[in-house]
Amino acid sequence: MIQLTVNGKTENLDVSPEMPLLWAIRDTLGLTGTKFGCGVAQCGACVVHLDGEAVRSCVTKMSRARGKNVVTIEGLSQNNDHPAQKAWQEIDVPQCGYCHSGQIMSAAVLLRENPNPTDQDIDDAMAGNICRCGTYPRIRKAIHLASQMQEKTKSDK
Amino acid sequence: MSTKIKFIWIAIILVSGIGLAFTVSKNRIVEKEYVSIVPIKKDSVASVAAFKQVYKVLMSPRCVNCHPKGDIPLQGDNSVIHSMQPKRGKDGKGVYAMKCANCHQPSNSPGLHTPPGNPEWHLPPADMKMVFEGKTAHELAKQLVNPQLNGHKDLQQLIAHADDGLVKAGWNMGKGRTAPPLTHAQFKKAWITWLKTGAYAPAK
Amino acid sequence: MTQNNNIDTTRRNFLKLTGLGGAALCLGFYFPANGAPVVVHPSELSDSEIELCPWIIINPSGKVTLVNHRAEMGQGSYQSVPQIVAEELEVDMKDINVIFAIGNEKKYGGQITGGSSTIRSAYKKLLKLSAAAREMLITAAAAKWSVPVTDCYAASGHVIHKPSGKKLHYGELAEAASKLEAPKEPKLKKISEYKLIRKPLKRIDTPLKTNGELIFGLDKRIPGMLFASVERDPRYFGKVKSFDATAALKVPGVKRVFKVEMGYYEHIREGVAVVATSTWAALEGRKQLKVEWNSSGFKHWSTPEIFETQNNLLKTEEGMPLKTQGNPTELLSRTNKKLDVIYQTPYQSHTAMEPINCIAHYKGNSIEIWGPIQAPGWVQDYISKKFKIDKEKVIVNMTFLGGGFGRKAMNDYPYEAVAVSKEIGGPVQVVWTREDDATLGPFRPGISYRCEGSMSDGKINALKFRMAGQNNGHWSGAPKDKPNGSTSEGFLKPYYESIKNVSFSDILFETSIPTSFWRSVYASTNGFAYESFIDEMAHEAGKDPLDFRREHLHEERCQKLIDKIEEVSDWKRRKKNEGYGVAITECFNSTVGQVVKVSKNPDGGVKIDKVWAVMDCGWYVNPDIIHAQVEGSIVMGLGAATTHQITFKENIVEQHNFYDYPMPRINEIPLIEVHIIDNEEDAGGVGEPALPPFAPALTNAIFDLTGKRIRTLPFSLGTV
Repeated sequence: MIQLTVNGKTENLDVSPEMPLLWAIRDTLGLTGTKFGCGVAQCGACVVHLDGEAVRSCVTKMSRARGKNVVTIEGLSQNNDHPAQKAWQEIDVPQCGYCHSGQIMSAAVLLRENPNPTDQDIDDAMAGNICRCGTYPRIRKAIHLASQMQEKTKSDK
Repeated sequence: MSTKIKFIWIAIILVSGIGLAFTVSKNRIVEKEYVSIVPIKKDSVASVAAFKQVYKVLMSPRCVNCHPKGDIPLQGDNSVIHSMQPKRGKDGKGVYAMKCANCHQPSNSPGLHTPPGNPEWHLPPADMKMVFEGKTAHELAKQLVNPQLNGHKDLQQLIAHADDGLVKAGWNMGKGRTAPPLTHAQFKKAWITWLKTGAYAPAK
Repeated sequence: MTQNNNIDTTRRNFLKLTGLGGAALCLGFYFPANGAPVVVHPSELSDSEIELCPWIIINPSGKVTLVNHRAEMGQGSYQSVPQIVAEELEVDMKDINVIFAIGNEKKYGGQITGGSSTIRSAYKKLLKLSAAAREMLITAAAAKWSVPVTDCYAASGHVIHKPSGKKLHYGELAEAASKLEAPKEPKLKKISEYKLIRKPLKRIDTPLKTNGELIFGLDKRIPGMLFASVERDPRYFGKVKSFDATAALKVPGVKRVFKVEMGYYEHIREGVAVVATSTWAALEGRKQLKVEWNSSGFKHWSTPEIFETQNNLLKTEEGMPLKTQGNPTELLSRTNKKLDVIYQTPYQSHTAMEPINCIAHYKGNSIEIWGPIQAPGWVQDYISKKFKIDKEKVIVNMTFLGGGFGRKAMNDYPYEAVAVSKEIGGPVQVVWTREDDATLGPFRPGISYRCEGSMSDGKINALKFRMAGQNNGHWSGAPKDKPNGSTSEGFLKPYYESIKNVSFSDILFETSIPTSFWRSVYASTNGFAYESFIDEMAHEAGKDPLDFRREHLHEERCQKLIDKIEEVSDWKRRKKNEGYGVAITECFNSTVGQVVKVSKNPDGGVKIDKVWAVMDCGWYVNPDIIHAQVEGSIVMGLGAATTHQITFKENIVEQHNFYDYPMPRINEIPLIEVHIIDNEEDAGGVGEPALPPFAPALTNAIFDLTGKRIRTLPFSLGTV
């Protein structure tokens, strides 16, 4: 049994410690928002937060996730309203949409650690996430917008 | 400096009886330019010969890839810029969603072309880049014994560094990656020989 | 909105899904009758699929269900189809529920989401259908109130009596309306009257793509479903000589290992399937599998040999003529001042982000399939024939697609899933790895072109284009003594008016490497050769490349497009140290012009500073979706021009995954500016036509900057 927290819920999973977190999330827990893209940490479609870091779940074994706090795209916000999610909707970033769970999870870490990212910061944070549809110009725009939204939420509080 | 290291330090001075150049102490405000090398037996020929062996290892992809001249690591046996261009970051552990440990696991991932792993995976930090890439043997030897460029390491720390977990990981990088040209034991021997014979830098 | 991916195939669930009670208005077209809308009465709805597939359903609560007959793979049909319906039906977008049709070409006509055809093939019917429903609802209201129809109008899902202000919502009128005959020629709005069409409305599927809710093929789950991974012959058509499943069967979760077939048109590909209780178990089991292949009986090709053969054929063969006007061969033989060059484009993989996958449930006398499928009608037809099950008993459900680009219009992976399901007697999802996806094809074929041309008085007087490369059509049985019909794709039709002598031909060339459509199909490679060659001619004539095109493309739409691209790119004010290149191509009834600006990279090579694109696709629905498609096409074109090539060694692909088939990343993307030409011409395609002009515009720009003419793709920007 491997115990871990997924989106705030304690889970006890009877899986191999060698199993990638990706498959435990998708096949065992049925959370299919996290995507399989390459299996070798190249594309970022499988990014989840492991104790807050944007790890690639396709190469992160269950043994590493043991006792840790995992957040998937389904748990990023209660109402699809994380600033990145709102900005993605506002700009209509996705085309096919397959890579965007990972894109948003990566962007969320960027926005947390650097609330006002420059274009260079966006490159530095997001070059690990591939989008075959080529939504990159919009991802950039949406991160800038999310940064403003985040700022505004803070000042409103 | 720990008591243990201090003790060894004194022991070396006693054994060699020669206090060469400078000593390094954390009590000193100004760090000396070079690590105090107290050779057991000063031997420039043996030292340079040993460093040539050391240099082969340090310039192998397994070492140079994470000691790049830019802020992006290299990868592969051909030492190309790391795909997706992860940045060094202040602490050498990457930035934002592109931290080393996001892909590089505590151990090697199974299979070919998967991220090699180590719990300590990182580049040298931004304020101490310890560049190997493009360095001549002369330049690299000088750099390695310069505390201002070697991560403030003194002789004992330099010696100890041969057994650093991440250094040793160079010999266990997972499928499809050529190991350095010497075994770790050979490397360690050459490294210590170089240091203990005076840490002479080759002329070129 | 909620996500209802598929029409459920039982009547009860379908009625529940659409909120269809006793009385509703259902409208649809019947193909091939293909004419006026037909009213379907709910009482007529039976379990038969044909009856279950009207296009628009209005239930008594006023809820509108739209059955989208095409796939959504990022190109926006899920938004643009309801946007059309909402306009003429006068309902709010939020009141429309979209579900995907199942494969049924009798009902919907062609369902292949390919050729950028969703809107251009259906918009007139959709407008008419929606307007007909609106008129019927208005007529029903007028009758109820005993007032003249002309005093009533529709808005926001209601019919309103203008003089009195009284209103009824559509749900209250659906039953009465359903008893009326559908008008054959309902009155359509003028473009100037549109409130939704031509507006950049937000996509209704976006929120589902930001919280992980959207179900792609790989996310679909069926009760009792197992997972499978298949080891297939890396040379495509070899036979399983032997396999050892001992170790694979020891992997926890692995249930069965067996030989399986995958049909590719009339060819059979063999594999060994590992079936397990989870995806990971299937993948781990497969790693332990040992398979020996017998790959004899067909030639094994390596990339240098392919292009050498093609290029040699171009030296001696005239090929099969597709189009000829005048006599370019004769003219070219008379001049010694001519250009005669070879262009070369590589094989490409589609590499959609969602790897190929499919669920099948073989139930003995029926088959149900779920998956990311671009052509449900084709799959239904093929599976029915191959597994000898009545067509109506083959239910093909489209999920959302995580990219398709032509690959997911193939029938091979559904075939294989059905074969695995048949063997195990239950539902199964066959999952392809990224490596399977990259190495097993089918691929865009690598093509060589020989381009010859001559000029008189600074104008082209003869063009002769010959193509040597695999014809995708041969795999599906196209006759080999006929030319490839796509040889002239991409070439602008107005050239035929100004250039008196033009010919296109293609030379038969076959390999054992499976090929297929790839986004914008042959235009993606033709465009590079033809538009680069026009540029070479312009240079030869000493003319500005944009003016040169202007002088040859007299048609008004082309002239407007040239003016526009000149204006937005500031073409005339370009500076000395900047390279500017232009290319204009036609693809699926749309014309796209692009200007690329490049400059020297201080670290060596060149960098792309900016791309301007002007799209003339005629009538269009959503300008923001067009912008997105153009941006995406340019990014895909960038990879295709500067990085991507699938190469073969003895038929085996030498690339595997993103580490050796690297995608453009966010830090490598130039600025892109998109413009749409407003006109009232017939709608053209949107999802593909912006890809072909990018490569030639880029290489033409590099020529402008460096004097170096690039005739072989891909090339590296870093070493130009």
